[in-house]
Amino acid sequence: MTDPRYEKLAKVLVDYCLDVQKKDLVLIRAGLPAAPLVREVYREVLLAGGHPMTRVALPGATEIFFGHAKKHQLEFVSPVAEHEVDKIDKLLAIRGTENTKSLTNVDPAKQTAVARAQSDLRQRYQDRVAAGEISWCVTQFPCNASAQDAEMSLEEYEDFVLRACLVHKKDPVAAWKGIKRKQAKLCRYLNDVGKIRIVKEGTDISMLVKGRTWINSDGRNNMPSGEIFTGPIEDSVEGTVAFTFPACYGGREVHDVRLTFKKGKVVKARASKGEDFLRSMLDTDEGARFVGEIAVGTNYAVEKFTKNTLFDEKIGGTIHMAVGSSYPKSGGKNKSAIHWDMVADMRDGGKIYADGKVIYKDGQFTLG
Amino acid sequence: MRDPRYAKLAGVLVNYSVAVEKGDLVAIQGSAIAEPLLAEIYRAVLEAGAHPILRVQLPGLTEMFFKLAKQHQLKYVNPVAEFEIENLDKVISLWADSNTKSLANVDSKRQAVRSKATSKLFMRFMQRESAGDLKWVGTQFPCNASAQDAEMSLEEYEDFVLKACMLHLKDPIAAWKRVHGKQKKICRQLNERKKIRVVAEGTDLTMSVEGRTWVNCDGTANMPDGEIFTGPVEDSMEGTVSFSFPAFYSGREADGVKLTFKKGKVVKATASKNEDFLHAMLDSDDGARRVGEFAIGTNYSIQKFTKNTLFDEKIGGTFHMALGASIPESGGKNESGIHWDIVNDMRSGGKIYADGKIIYKDGEFTI
Repeated sequence: MTDPRYEKLAKVLVDYCLDVQKKDLVLIRAGLPAAPLVREVYREVLLAGGHPMTRVALPGATEIFFGHAKKHQLEFVSPVAEHEVDKIDKLLAIRGTENTKSLTNVDPAKQTAVARAQSDLRQRYQDRVAAGEISWCVTQFPCNASAQDAEMSLEEYEDFVLRACLVHKKDPVAAWKGIKRKQAKLCRYLNDVGKIRIVKEGTDISMLVKGRTWINSDGRNNMPSGEIFTGPIEDSVEGTVAFTFPACYGGREVHDVRLTFKKGKVVKARASKGEDFLRSMLDTDEGARFVGEIAVGTNYAVEKFTKNTLFDEKIGGTIHMAVGSSYPKSGGKNKSAIHWDMVADMRDGGKIYADGKVIYKDGQFTLG
Repeated sequence: MRDPRYAKLAGVLVNYSVAVEKGDLVAIQGSAIAEPLLAEIYRAVLEAGAHPILRVQLPGLTEMFFKLAKQHQLKYVNPVAEFEIENLDKVISLWADSNTKSLANVDSKRQAVRSKATSKLFMRFMQRESAGDLKWVGTQFPCNASAQDAEMSLEEYEDFVLKACMLHLKDPIAAWKRVHGKQKKICRQLNERKKIRVVAEGTDLTMSVEGRTWVNCDGTANMPDGEIFTGPVEDSMEGTVSFSFPAFYSGREADGVKLTFKKGKVVKATASKNEDFLHAMLDSDDGARRVGEFAIGTNYSIQKFTKNTLFDEKIGGTFHMALGASIPESGGKNESGIHWDIVNDMRSGGKIYADGKIIYKDGEFTI
């Protein structure tokens, strides 16, 4: 027996997000708890005529690795992984773990060593993505660990995830295509705008976006999606922003973050909890004090904050800003080792002005 | 909580069976069902200073593949898998099923198309293994599906598997080394012999093993292990054999198998159950009517037949013969698409003669 909800989600992932074609080599990377969805995706890839291959992570293996690996093992890059990156046509990453905090006590220096060793491999992958040779998508399987973070029962969380992916609709692919069209209009409008100002209680911040590109995040790279974003001109951000929701990074939480910018740079950073961590993150490198992304979440099926950026940054009626690296395709030029998305609720009186004109109010675009 | 039994088994597989060394690229393959053992092997490989790569299979995908795959998918060879075979130093495979009969209804023609497509992968694996470039060991993870076949509870089956691997002993690696030493002596003696005769109830069989090599199965390719085997001279088998245990092949079973050989070839084959299946197998190809392997099981921790060849062929006090392909290492030259091991009990009055002299009686070597 297959779960019809996962069958439906798998169809969205394979036919819409990845657009699998006959003979595509499709890598499905997943945590073991995501097995029910992996099965359905495997089936849909076969039905599409593609060649599915699975890489299922063994629970606990990463902790074991960090617990035992010596220097030469931390720095090892598998030739098979390199070959894999050269050969795959599509990549689907299905998140799903038994414990979202299992790496909390790993020595960050070891994690950095691995990240550094893998950087060429990552570049090789990103080059193939940029050349249009690999399509990718990230999604979340509703598992207990994430339900726990969301403070929901598993069943409630399943409904939450599937609704966010529009799988409760009769034709989710048509629904995503509808979102794509709607957001394309917004992006076209915003691409001609020079200055953005965001105002709400505790927040008044402005930035230039002239010449930058607004990206339509329409569910192909993230499922769920629903946001539009760009990279503001790096030295143009001025004012103060108060983030409503806790800012989560690497399994840690910072509450009531308030940032003040001058000439694009964070000059003041406050938090009610985790202020030291916030400061140390901002001191990571030069770019960590500049904004790499300004975005508006448009997924109104996501209403609740669940401590999972994939969902939180999409909440319909929120904005988010990332300190750190920008996405090159938005025209953003900021470089940093971090990219930390922080979300602010706009549903209670927030406004966005574009070149002085209100375009967004109380969590909704007011453009025609 | 870590299970100390699996940590111990992992130690035997990693440090004895394939002898992982620093810098080795080691694939660890197995179903997600074998999770606790996969994790311990992963740890042991890291501790040996090597680079483990995990290949965790999800139950159910193989049946789905055979059900849905079109011809171009059945014939596809994954370039990443090809590359992997060329680069691995060690492979540890775990067998574990959620259902040992899940492929029972798969169209065998589709399976044949797939086997043909992937045979080049298998060939390269075998070539690299026989050249000593790659070492492989296969073992069974005690899961409910296999316990069910063995007609045991899971806990009883766990004990059965772990005892068979000698993990109940304080130092299993030392025990396997003793098995190696003991069997080496027997193999050395048998390598000098020309003619083997096997006598048991309903069985009187002779064969020439002149110039062939007896191979010592000491836990380095199978865990558990415990057998010695050779490939008899292909046209030399004469007489009749009655197998006491059912014969299994890809999830199907023939009972009461009785074979008569002339000049090495099966000329008469009967079975009390599934005789048609037996005949179909014998008609697979030219080599399927000849014996590719003659072997004696020496693992006396395994006493019970459990419908799993890995264990059954090792039962201390049995011999087995394989119809079909011989193992090149033994000097056997028979070629076939099948290799079907069938086991016979020798514990109640069976005798083996080598060049006319008794060497084995009632399930024990007398040399």
